[in-house]
Amino acid sequence: MKKGLLGRLWRQRHLQGFVWLGLVFLLIFHYLPMFGILIAFEDFKISSGILGMFTSEFVGLKHFIAFFTDYKFTELLANTLSLSVLKLLFSFPLPIFLALVLNECHVSWFKRVAQTVSYLPYFISWVIVAGFTQILLTNTGAVNDLLNSLLGVRLQFLTSPALFRPLAVITAMWKETGWWTIIFLAAIAGIDPTLYEAAEIDGASRLMRIWRITLPGISPTVTVVLILALGNLLGGGLSGSNFEQCYLMGNVGNYDASEILQTYILNIGLSKGRFSYATAAGLFQSAISVLLVFASNLVSKRVSGEGLF
Amino acid sequence: MKNSRSYLRRSPSDKAIDAAVYAILIFVLAVSVYPLYLAVVLSFNEGVDAQLGGIYFWPRKFTLKNYEKFFTDFSWLKAMAVTLSRTVLGTTLTVLFTSFVAYGLSHRNLLGRRLYMKLFIFAMYFSGGVIPYYAVLRTLGLLDTFWVYIVPSLLNLFYVLVAISFFQGIPEELQEAARVDGAGELRIFFSVILPVAKPLLATIAIFISVQHWNSWYDSAFFVKNQDLMTLAYRMMAVLKKSDLNQVTQASAAAASAVRVTPMSVQLAAMVIATMPVVVVYPFFQKYIISGVTIGSVKG
Repeated sequence: MKKGLLGRLWRQRHLQGFVWLGLVFLLIFHYLPMFGILIAFEDFKISSGILGMFTSEFVGLKHFIAFFTDYKFTELLANTLSLSVLKLLFSFPLPIFLALVLNECHVSWFKRVAQTVSYLPYFISWVIVAGFTQILLTNTGAVNDLLNSLLGVRLQFLTSPALFRPLAVITAMWKETGWWTIIFLAAIAGIDPTLYEAAEIDGASRLMRIWRITLPGISPTVTVVLILALGNLLGGGLSGSNFEQCYLMGNVGNYDASEILQTYILNIGLSKGRFSYATAAGLFQSAISVLLVFASNLVSKRVSGEGLF
Repeated sequence: MKNSRSYLRRSPSDKAIDAAVYAILIFVLAVSVYPLYLAVVLSFNEGVDAQLGGIYFWPRKFTLKNYEKFFTDFSWLKAMAVTLSRTVLGTTLTVLFTSFVAYGLSHRNLLGRRLYMKLFIFAMYFSGGVIPYYAVLRTLGLLDTFWVYIVPSLLNLFYVLVAISFFQGIPEELQEAARVDGAGELRIFFSVILPVAKPLLATIAIFISVQHWNSWYDSAFFVKNQDLMTLAYRMMAVLKKSDLNQVTQASAAAASAVRVTPMSVQLAAMVIATMPVVVVYPFFQKYIISGVTIGSVKG
C-alpha cells in the first residue's frame, strides 16, 4: 500500500493539496474564462451565467462578421496599431539609452539618486499621471505658457486627436523609462570587466567601448525584452499601458484617435451589454497578439539565435 | 567599473561625454520630479485662483482648504478606507496564497509537477478576455462586493514562478530536519519556510500592494455600489468629469465662495494617494530591484 504511485501520492498528499488549491483557482479564474471564448460564437445572455456558454444557441461567425463589417472596425484597428507601434518605436530605445548614460556616470551617489528617482513614476497610478497631464498641459498650464513665450502658440494637448498619440507616447516614456532601465543596467553589470580593461589598454575611446563592448554585451537582454514588448504590442508594449492611457486620457475631443480595441470592447460589452459581440472582438485582438508573439520569436531566432521558446 | 587610472588621463572627448551625462541625468531628475512637485504646490493653492494659471514653483494663494475639504468629505474618506482595507487584506492574502501554492510546486519529486507547471505557465500567457472573465465573476456572485477586489487576484502567477525558484534555493536540510521532528507540511511551510523567505515575501508584497493601492479598474467595471469605490476610482471619476467643463466648475465654485474646486480637492487627493508610495519607496529599493531582475530572468 505504501509503495508505488499511490503510495507516493499518499505520502505527498499535503503538498498535492497545496497545489490543487492553486489549480482550482486557476481553473475558475483563468481556464473558465478561456473556455468562455465560446461566447463569441453564440447568442449569449449574461443572465445565464458563465455556464450558460455550454447551453446558449450557436450562431457561428455572426458576431465576427458584424465586427469586421462595423464602420468603426478599420478606425479601431488603425488607432490601436498606430499607437502601439509609435510607443514601441519611441519608448523602447529610451531605457537602453538611459542605462548607457547611467553606466557612464561615475559619481556613485548621483548615479543612485538619478536612477532611483527615474523609476519612481512607475509606481504612480495612471490615474494620477493623467491628473498631472491636466495640470501641466491645459490651456493655461505650465507647458503652454512656455510654448507661448517661446513660439507664441498654445496647443490643445488634451483634446486634440492629432496630439493624442504624442501625448500617450510621452507619458508612457515618463512613467516607464526608468523602470525598464533597471533590467538593462543589470545586464550591463553582468558584462566581464576585463573586456573594458583590455580595450582601454588597447586605446579604445570611451564611445568605442560603449559601442563595441557594452552594446553587444546587452544585446541578448535587448532581444528578449523586445520579444516581450512585441508580444504585447497591442496591449501597449512592455507594461501594457494602452488601455489605461486611452481610457483615462481619452475624451470627446480626441476620441477619433484615443478609441482603441480595448476601450471599445469594454464599452460595447459591459456598458452596452453586447457580450457575444465584444467577446468576438476580444478574441480577434488576442489572436493577433498570439501571432505576434510567435512571429517575433521566430524572427529573433533566425536573426540572433535567441528566443523565448 | 572603471579604475581611477582613467581619470588621470582624460581626453577632451571624455570630458564632453561627462558633461553630456550630467546634463542628461539632471534633465531626467527634473522631468521625473516636476509633475509631482507641481501637484503638491497646486494642492496648497486656492482652487479658483489656480485655474488662472501662472503657478509653477510656489503657491500663489496658500490655503489648507483643499486638504480640509478632503478630510471632511465622507465619500473621499470612505474611498480611502476601502483602498486601505483592500491593500492590507489583499496583499497579505495574496502573498500567503501565492507562496503557499509555490511551496507545493517547488518540490521536484511532486507527482504531476511537469503538467502543473505547464498549466500555470499557459495561463500566464493566454487569457479569455474581459467579457468571459466578467461572466465568471458574475456567476460567482463577486460583482458589486468588496471581495471582487480580493479573491480574483489571490494567486499571482508571475510571482508563483518567482517564489518556486526562491524556494528551490533553500537548503533541503531545513525541511528534512523539521520532517524528522515530525512536523507536517503546513507546519514546515509556516515555521520553517516563511521565516527564511522574508526577502521574497517583501518583494511580492511591494508589487502587490502598489497594484492594490493604484487600482481603479475593478471599481469602474465590476462594482456599482458607491460605498465600495476606491481612492483611485474617485480620482478617475473627477478626471473624467473635469475634462471639458472646468469653466462651469470654476464659476460654480466662485459663486458658492468656497474657493475650492473639484480639481483642487482632486489635487489634494492625488498628493495624499501618492505620498505612501513616495515615502515608503526609498526603503525598499533592494526588493524593488530584485523584483524586476528576477522577473527579467524568468521572462
